[in-house]
Amino acid sequence: MSDFVIETKKLTKIYGEQTAVSSVDIHVKPGRIYGLLGRNGAGKTTIMKMILGLTPITSGEVDVFGQNIKGHEKRIYPRIGAIIETPGFYPNLTGTENLEIFAKLRGTPRPNAVKNALEVVGLPYRDKKLFSKYSLGMKQRLGIANAILHDPELLILDEPTNGLDPIGIAEVRNFIKDLSVDRGKTILISSHILSEIALLADDIGIIDHGVLLEESSMEDLEKKNRKYIQLQVSDVPKASLILERQFHVTDYAVQDEHNLRLYDTALDMAAINKALVVQDVAVISSQICNDTLEDYFKQITGGEGIA
Amino acid sequence: MELLLWAERRKLRRSKILWIAGFATVMVALIVFAQGQFTFYESRYIDGAGWFMTAAQSLATFYVLPAVIALLGSYMICREEQEDTLKSLRLIPVDEVKLTLSKMVLALVFSVVIYLLLFAITFLVEAVLHFEALSIGLVLGNLKTYLLDGIGVFFAISPIIALVARMKKGYWLALVFAEIYSFAGLFASMSEQLKTVYPMTAVFNISGYYDASMVQVLIGIIVLLACLFWRCSF
Repeated sequence: MSDFVIETKKLTKIYGEQTAVSSVDIHVKPGRIYGLLGRNGAGKTTIMKMILGLTPITSGEVDVFGQNIKGHEKRIYPRIGAIIETPGFYPNLTGTENLEIFAKLRGTPRPNAVKNALEVVGLPYRDKKLFSKYSLGMKQRLGIANAILHDPELLILDEPTNGLDPIGIAEVRNFIKDLSVDRGKTILISSHILSEIALLADDIGIIDHGVLLEESSMEDLEKKNRKYIQLQVSDVPKASLILERQFHVTDYAVQDEHNLRLYDTALDMAAINKALVVQDVAVISSQICNDTLEDYFKQITGGEGIA
Repeated sequence: MELLLWAERRKLRRSKILWIAGFATVMVALIVFAQGQFTFYESRYIDGAGWFMTAAQSLATFYVLPAVIALLGSYMICREEQEDTLKSLRLIPVDEVKLTLSKMVLALVFSVVIYLLLFAITFLVEAVLHFEALSIGLVLGNLKTYLLDGIGVFFAISPIIALVARMKKGYWLALVFAEIYSFAGLFASMSEQLKTVYPMTAVFNISGYYDASMVQVLIGIIVLLACLFWRCSF
């Protein structure tokens, strides 16, 4: 049995001559929010579609709940709620009527499932407004309501805050967080908005041009991107010794033969510099650095495209 | 299947296509009624008992109703892709073969209902104009013909529904194709051989609108079954 709710192995999708997704290995752990971060067109939606079996896989494997979805749809789909791209509903029906159809087709046992789902996303129950008259934000909310209608264990949400106003975005964010924290749901969410992922995700996958550039937990990423003092010296082993013995510094990392990172920014740098110089270690430079997640993203993707 | 049929029926709520179909049926009746005002040997056609019920069938079948039924059938299938609801249905998961089958069953029911609506209108007009002249045999005979027309026309146009659904270029194409297809029946009806094998006229052979031999009826049934088989092969 796999330790992951979703696990992809060398997942690849090729359209004609264009590789949309290339050898992607994603690992979504149970009860956690996995944020798939990437620019528009990076391959996030294609990955989600392949995970859900909505588009054929060129090569590679997808396991959901430890099983290949193909051939096990009836067992796996009822455990998943999803929004992929824009939510599609029948325009001549109201939101409630739309959800009633999906609830009945799913065989949702809870009698108030539609009412509860609409309440959660802040849409009125039995409203007369037709779906064709809905704003983009309302459509998105209805899509989320449809995804949670049957109380699934796993939610796959492709840019769920698209079209929502700032208050709506905050509401959806809190709601997604609650689903994970309070109800233990596993959530795979994609976004091109870095701050959204940073605020929501426990684990993050950074994708660019169909390639998964990095997959790590948010804590590890934050550790990589926290404030630090970059110290460039002539002799790193000797400098390390001085730092440990004289200043009791343990939270530091050796970058290379001339660079050190000190993660305690409250250190007395004047005293450190003096001590190093006195003991024949030349200090070439020392400066406080603060890499944000955005800097990191730009650094590894080499460009723009993230809000 | 029952659930899918329920869902399909719900999806058609407030659908304009149903109103278009109702309007088209009433218009057929009105046009034939207007035709009935012409005189032949100093007598209006409409004054002949049973004329209205009989005449409405050919106009409806060669010009109007197959296009309307094809439009509805194609709309029900194509809308899932156009309105992007198919992916939500796939994720339930809904069996796509059963889904299409439920849509076709509903289109068949719709085809029968629309023909019965036309029958009801023509019968009511006939009853108002000359109730005494109407025999039970005449009315029931026409009811049977309309019923079989409704079933047969659905079978005949089912390949068009399949073709348009496959083309994915918009369900309105079904209206155009079905119109050409049904209108061509008018020419097919001029030849005894063509009349037997052309699906639209084969419907009339089966329903009893045309005087047809048993062989012609059997060939007609085979032709319509072939239409349905062709539709299923898509």
